[in-house]
Amino acid sequence: MSAVQEALPAIKGSRDAIVRRFALTDTIFHAATRAAAILVLVLLGGVAISLFAGSWQALSTFGFSFLTTESWNPVTEKFGALAPIYGTIITSAIAILIAVPLGIGIAIFLTELCPRALRRPIGMAVELLAGIPSIIYGIWGLFVLAPFLQTTVQPFIIWLFHGVPGLNNLFAGPPYGIGLLTSAMILAIMILPFITSITKDVFDTVPSVLKESAYGIGCTTWEVTRRVVIPYTRIGIMGGVMLALGRALGETMAVTFVIGNAHRISTSLFAPATTISATIANEFTEAVGDLYTSSLVALGLILFVITFLILAIARYMLMRIDARTGA
Amino acid sequence: MKPMLSTELNTPEVAVDKAKIEVKNLNFYYGQSKALKDISLSLPERSVTAFIGPSGCGKSTLLRVFNRIYELYPKQSADGQVLLDGQNILDRSQDLNLLRTKIGMVFQKPTPFPMSIYENIAFGVRLYEKISKSEMDGRVEQALKRAALWTEVKDKLNASGLSLSGGQQQRLCIARTVAVKPEVILLDEPASALDPLSTAKIEELIDELQADYTIVIVTHNMQQAARVSRQTAFMYLGELVEFDKTEKIFTSPREKRTQDYITGRFG
Repeated sequence: MSAVQEALPAIKGSRDAIVRRFALTDTIFHAATRAAAILVLVLLGGVAISLFAGSWQALSTFGFSFLTTESWNPVTEKFGALAPIYGTIITSAIAILIAVPLGIGIAIFLTELCPRALRRPIGMAVELLAGIPSIIYGIWGLFVLAPFLQTTVQPFIIWLFHGVPGLNNLFAGPPYGIGLLTSAMILAIMILPFITSITKDVFDTVPSVLKESAYGIGCTTWEVTRRVVIPYTRIGIMGGVMLALGRALGETMAVTFVIGNAHRISTSLFAPATTISATIANEFTEAVGDLYTSSLVALGLILFVITFLILAIARYMLMRIDARTGA
Repeated sequence: MKPMLSTELNTPEVAVDKAKIEVKNLNFYYGQSKALKDISLSLPERSVTAFIGPSGCGKSTLLRVFNRIYELYPKQSADGQVLLDGQNILDRSQDLNLLRTKIGMVFQKPTPFPMSIYENIAFGVRLYEKISKSEMDGRVEQALKRAALWTEVKDKLNASGLSLSGGQQQRLCIARTVAVKPEVILLDEPASALDPLSTAKIEELIDELQADYTIVIVTHNMQQAARVSRQTAFMYLGELVEFDKTEKIFTSPREKRTQDYITGRFG
């Protein structure tokens, strides 16, 4: 004990020298890392400002009606964002509806039911889905999925719901193959890995002793999952879903291939439509005239705001679950 | 063969009215490593039995065999016999969910479910019984009273179970266990995460509960074992060293290792 105490001043002395010697490099390093961090904020602000400046002409010309007008007419230069906004939100919402139950199902299987030997292969396969470039989803959607849906699934569904009030409008023909539903299905496949891996991670945060006590009063695996694991991780799952939603809203390439690019709002999910990002990608090169370009930038601004809000909500929810498991 | 000898050695001099749980030649494995070695003992009905011993001696492991909770983990396995009222619960045909309603368990850390105080108790009851709302209210009240928690929570039954203090949460877990009317209650160091006052309440509770339940408690705290139990098993390195009336274990143990442990010479 005393030996340690005697040694302390000596160590401290040499430590002081080292600290002094590195004072300058420390300062430089500190400044460099801080600059790097600030750069992100500057970039974010720059993007927001340039989007706002670029869209100013469109927004000042059309005002609030830009958000509520369906027509998109480059000839008469009357632009409204309603159709792309509608397409963006509907495709993403349907994608979420498909991918959330699937993703949670996969996560439950992987964490609660899966034989250990299968756990890694299936988990990796799901993660690999995230690594497939979106252009590949696009061409696969256009050349494989869309023709398949066009010739088999869509005619069947149209026939099935023909004359059923409500549903007959939702699934009205003709079967193009491409359209809202096809895009939503492609998006669902693309966001599945996000939902699965985040859900799996938050399921792993459930203390095993909590699960044991649920099993301990005679719960089945289903009851433990449904009544204990999912309620315990609800916020984290919501966060994961929001992140996936953010991804779906902004996805461009795959959607552009299979959505049909029609500035129309149709009640049928089989109808061609468009999304914000698909519109921008398709039309930027042919946008003649400042107002046309400005309208496309304004679309970008709207998407920026929507995704920003969604991601902010997601971050907030994930923060809350972190705080709780940390406590 | 060794089993004969060890059975003989371990036979308690307790006048057992009726054995609730009888363990015969039980071995337990974590993968390749053997954690319990040829354990044989019998636990009398409506009485508190304590398992003591240093960390890693296998006392919690033994407890976890009684409701087969270890089966959640594929690498853990047991062989031998554990008879509950003469029925071997290690038998493949044993329904695990039913077994666990008969043998309740309370863990070291309080584990309230992520739901209201009321639901924490009603949840388990509802799994196996269809009863009306008013009957359920009665069951919840009764269970909370049993766990000496009723007066503290009766005005906030809809609050989250997680909003209670640690000691209250643990009593909620005991209430939850009692509510499903088990026959045996397993307590795995139920007070080790609690302050002395809460510990005292839990111990009082254990004392009251033994009138109706067969209780097995694992504890690090030898004073606690001495206070609450009627018979005590001392385990060391996966073996049952000695099993006898609690006062005998703490005053005149037969085994040197037991004596060394309770006098604090090791462990």
